[in-house]
Amino acid sequence: MTRYILSRLGYMIFTFLLIASLTFFLMQTLPGSPFNDERLSEAQEKILNQRYGLDEPVAMQYFKYLGNVLVGELGVSFQFDGRSVTTIIGERIGVSAILGAQAMGLGLVLGGLLGIIAAVRHNTFMDYTAMIIAVLGLSIPNFVFAGLLQYWVGVRLQWLPVAFWQGFEYSILPTISLAAFVMATIARYMRSEMLDVLGQDYITTAHAKGVDRWKVIRKHGIRNAMIPIITIVGPLTVSLMTGTLVVEQIFSVPGLGEQFVNSILTNDYPVIMGVTLFFSLLFIAVIFVVDILYGIVDPRIRLSGGGRN
Amino acid sequence: MNRKRWLMLLMLISLVSLLAACYGGGGSDSSGGSAESDESSEGSETGESEGGTLHMATPGELPTVQTNGNLDGLSQTVMLNIYEGLFRLDENNELSAGMAEDYEMTENEDGSVTYTFNIREDAEWSNGTPVTAHDFVYGWKRALDPETFSPHAYLMAPITNANEIQDPEHELYGQVDELGVEATDDKTLVVELNNNVPYFLELLANPVMFPQNEEFIASQGDDYGLEPENVISNGPFFLDTWTHDQGWVLSKNEDYWDSENVSLDAVDYRVAKDASTEVNLYETGDIDVANLTSEFVDMYAEDEAYTTNINTEVYFVRFNLQNEFLANDNIRKALDMSYDKAEAAESILKNGSIPAYFLVPEDFVSNEQGEGFREKHGNFNMTDIEEAQKLWEQGLEELGTDSITLELLSYDDDQRKAMAEYMKNQWENNLPGLTVAINQQPNKQKLDLEGKQDYDMSFSGWRNDISDPVEFLNVHLSDGPYNWQDFANEEYDELVKKAQTDFSDLDQRFADMQEAERILIEQETAISPIYQSANARLINPSVNNFVAHPDNTFSFKWVTMEE
Amino acid sequence: MESLIQEFGFLEVDEISIPEQKLTDDLFEVERQLDKDVEVISQKPVSYLGDSWKRLKKNRGAIIGLVLIIIIIFLALAGPYMNSHEFDEQNLKISNLPPKVPALEHVPFLGLDGKDIEGQDTYAVKNVDGYYWFGTDNLGRDVWTRVWEGTRISLYIAFLAALLDLLIGVTYGSISAYYGGKIDNVMQRIIEVLIGVPNLIVIILLILVLQPGIVSITLAMVITGWVNMARIIRGQVLKLKGQEFVLASRTLGAGDTRLIWRHLIPNSIGPIIITTMFTIPTAIFTEAFLSFIGLGLQPPIASLGTIVNDGFELIQIYPHMLMFSSIIISLIMISFNLLGDGLRDAFDPKMRK
Repeated sequence: MTRYILSRLGYMIFTFLLIASLTFFLMQTLPGSPFNDERLSEAQEKILNQRYGLDEPVAMQYFKYLGNVLVGELGVSFQFDGRSVTTIIGERIGVSAILGAQAMGLGLVLGGLLGIIAAVRHNTFMDYTAMIIAVLGLSIPNFVFAGLLQYWVGVRLQWLPVAFWQGFEYSILPTISLAAFVMATIARYMRSEMLDVLGQDYITTAHAKGVDRWKVIRKHGIRNAMIPIITIVGPLTVSLMTGTLVVEQIFSVPGLGEQFVNSILTNDYPVIMGVTLFFSLLFIAVIFVVDILYGIVDPRIRLSGGGRN
Repeated sequence: MNRKRWLMLLMLISLVSLLAACYGGGGSDSSGGSAESDESSEGSETGESEGGTLHMATPGELPTVQTNGNLDGLSQTVMLNIYEGLFRLDENNELSAGMAEDYEMTENEDGSVTYTFNIREDAEWSNGTPVTAHDFVYGWKRALDPETFSPHAYLMAPITNANEIQDPEHELYGQVDELGVEATDDKTLVVELNNNVPYFLELLANPVMFPQNEEFIASQGDDYGLEPENVISNGPFFLDTWTHDQGWVLSKNEDYWDSENVSLDAVDYRVAKDASTEVNLYETGDIDVANLTSEFVDMYAEDEAYTTNINTEVYFVRFNLQNEFLANDNIRKALDMSYDKAEAAESILKNGSIPAYFLVPEDFVSNEQGEGFREKHGNFNMTDIEEAQKLWEQGLEELGTDSITLELLSYDDDQRKAMAEYMKNQWENNLPGLTVAINQQPNKQKLDLEGKQDYDMSFSGWRNDISDPVEFLNVHLSDGPYNWQDFANEEYDELVKKAQTDFSDLDQRFADMQEAERILIEQETAISPIYQSANARLINPSVNNFVAHPDNTFSFKWVTMEE
Repeated sequence: MESLIQEFGFLEVDEISIPEQKLTDDLFEVERQLDKDVEVISQKPVSYLGDSWKRLKKNRGAIIGLVLIIIIIFLALAGPYMNSHEFDEQNLKISNLPPKVPALEHVPFLGLDGKDIEGQDTYAVKNVDGYYWFGTDNLGRDVWTRVWEGTRISLYIAFLAALLDLLIGVTYGSISAYYGGKIDNVMQRIIEVLIGVPNLIVIILLILVLQPGIVSITLAMVITGWVNMARIIRGQVLKLKGQEFVLASRTLGAGDTRLIWRHLIPNSIGPIIITTMFTIPTAIFTEAFLSFIGLGLQPPIASLGTIVNDGFELIQIYPHMLMFSSIIISLIMISFNLLGDGLRDAFDPKMRK
């Protein structure tokens, strides 16, 4: 196992560098420039390119950039004068993480419950109701749901703040908006997997031995239903944490998602690179953890072996 | 379905409140940053002071407070209110007093001009140091220095040697000490101009011409302008708090020379990223001013808080003359006259924008006799479908074809997207044989395509920095940096170049510019003007003297709040 | 009935008695094992598809879903031709009309009577005769026609996404997990890179390199859309491949291809269908999101996503724009989900009773 983890760590660094290089070269082909403002003449654009080191040969820029990345130096934003990329990410990631964690928590709990209820009461009224709730959570477009929440709960009923990020009550509506999708996702996987597991022989055996029904579900069912859930939860968490533009925009949450899209649209290279690297680092780490968890959750899985062993 | 959604909502809310216990720590943590801004706004709600707090919303983070930075409308607004140049624009967009107490102008024999400004004795930075002439010299040179080059340095053009210093090919490139500006003593600033540019004083109200304190900037190093403590102000307000990506507070600067005429205690800016969120926040009373997109105009047009404000910004279609079809005069003119601009402005934009049959905006400048720029020629190429169809037929015949496909490069926001769709539809309906494909691109990418002339027609716009028609006309100079259409007309070039440098007979200059505009639109139809833009907003009726300038920046100096 | 007869067939075979004879080696002949028939049951079994279809038919929800999908597809194809309005026929004089439907206009609570939110009959005010079943948009275009045109685009994106998931995602995931070791390692690194480079950069590049619009969206999906499925299937196959039935099958001589396609993938059918059901909405909404940031389809072409997006701002004053498009999106999602659930129950070999 230790050997496996060590080699995986090695691969992670390799993948990370590959992504870093790929993003760098992709960005070279990104049309436009941070300084092609309507009012700038070519000569002035040239001076600005020089000021920010964009006039150097691409290969030169690339090695400089790789060197900087390796020591954790991500450069300075073009869009926000003088602000370093690490500061920009640092200022926003905390908010995104809190919001993401809340939405994930809420979605997991509700979705898990709905899924288990639906599976245990398979093909009953409860099953259908649970699934309709799950489907609705999935089928109403995110921004419509968020917009309706904002208008009804915020403007009409005035129960909760319309927007901004100044305390827990401000996070409730965005959390609900984000959690709807998570809840739906988890509920459906949970139901499907639970049905699978509940049909297996060892569950019947456990029943036959007279073990309490809910205890069987808890001890065997849920644990065995975890594989697809873990697979899906990992990246889902990252994408929730790194922010979702729509919800951030509607509730004016100062998270990372909107910043990222903006930086692409304004050709703010250092921010694009910085946020991309940060995202991919998170993703790679999560995938790694998920692979390790596979082994822990289901002892039957052997990661290192081939199919013929 | 509705009841079920409510049920779900109730369930969710109760669960969230359960979860609140676990995440309470996180929640209060995140609110820590904005606690200060809450406190400062509380003062206003108790109504103790006469001033009060103006609550504003803005779609994004404040990009910069450095005068040599990349100035968008938001940064400019903040800088206009925390800094001050030699002059500032008042409620009527006229020059009013700033850092300069008085000035003197002398015309030299060679046509150049020398301005001498006396800076106010009581002008001070918020750290107590006086504002001196050296601060101006430093600030201007900083904007031209290649190391700290400002994207807006082109505004300095009238000053002697400014153009040469920002030309990498020229021997003076980067030699900022050659700039025609000098501090003869602490409070006297002498500026040399190549020509007697009539709008020079107005330029001085632009942030790129603001003073900068060398000592302070040097002491801050790389941190300069990043946080409130890294900024000093000389304007009516100072940057009090700044919670990044959430908001910032401008508080009244008691050291400001004219502070007795500043009524507001503070301006509380919050980042509200979505247009409908802004309206909702206005509805709940969280903000005092809300910008309205066209969609919301129908809802509020009758409201007493509803105002519109026309900008000196004109949108037009650029015709790329490299295209063989668009090189035909009749085709261009037919395109210009064949879509209903009035209906578009009234029914799609709705926000007070007016149809444009011109390039130099309505209500913009007048000559010495008070005659407006538009009065002489009025509108060019008024919409006339029948006439357009005749021209179109004629053009097709000359080209020997019966069908043309053209691409229309366009913006990607809702309002301008609807405009592009409307134009496409009108063109295709009114001009038989024409197919228009819309190519919608984000701004930077659109500019890139325009710069490379990789388009047929482009939906573009232009906004002035100073109140002079030449600002709009020099865009189309044959060798100008913004001519992305291959447009070239000798007479036009001659007239505009003369207007750029010869200020000896202002009436003649005015007439020349009117003629140039006629050539551009009526004679050549190099562009098809669409509309002059306006902004619709809701301003809380208890807010008085809210000043929105035609370039969509705001001044808060004169704002008063009723209780 | 058929299956009963077959069961009898089995019984008869079992009862055939073997004549008493001494068994010697020369009576046996070595038969070459052929991969394809090692596990074949000599009698004709109930076919997998036939059996599944039978069970699908019994699932009421699935049938409702299927019927709904057929109706939606029909309307998407025929809807735009059901009235005389073209999808890009503009008339600013009749912009933002509320919906009005013949006959139904007399049923007061349906809101199909041409009255706006203030109860004013806009048709009378603007002097319009004729009917706009779903009303008109801000350019005076018929929403009914546009919604069904948009449904076509959205359905195309949905089916494309599902197809990519099934073709690339499932194959990739199962091969990666089944062979494991080095192959798995390399394949997983590729996936990590694909996830790691943000889609948005890839999409913007495609949009600018290619003609903007549906082609670039399609290509962007080909590059990244199947990654999630591949990871789910990998997880499933990793779990399954150590189980007894796989071992049993291998002992009987089944080859890799057969194991993957006949055992591992059918046993993962639950997660496959569920994931597909998630891919579809995600794809439809991704397209809408692209329009949201201005990178989607080129107007006047619209998808359901762009119509919802356009209507969103008008929600408080002209709710019909948003209402119909969201209802149809929701219906598409719901019917795919109902059908998906039914399919899952029908196809999953573990659910066979």
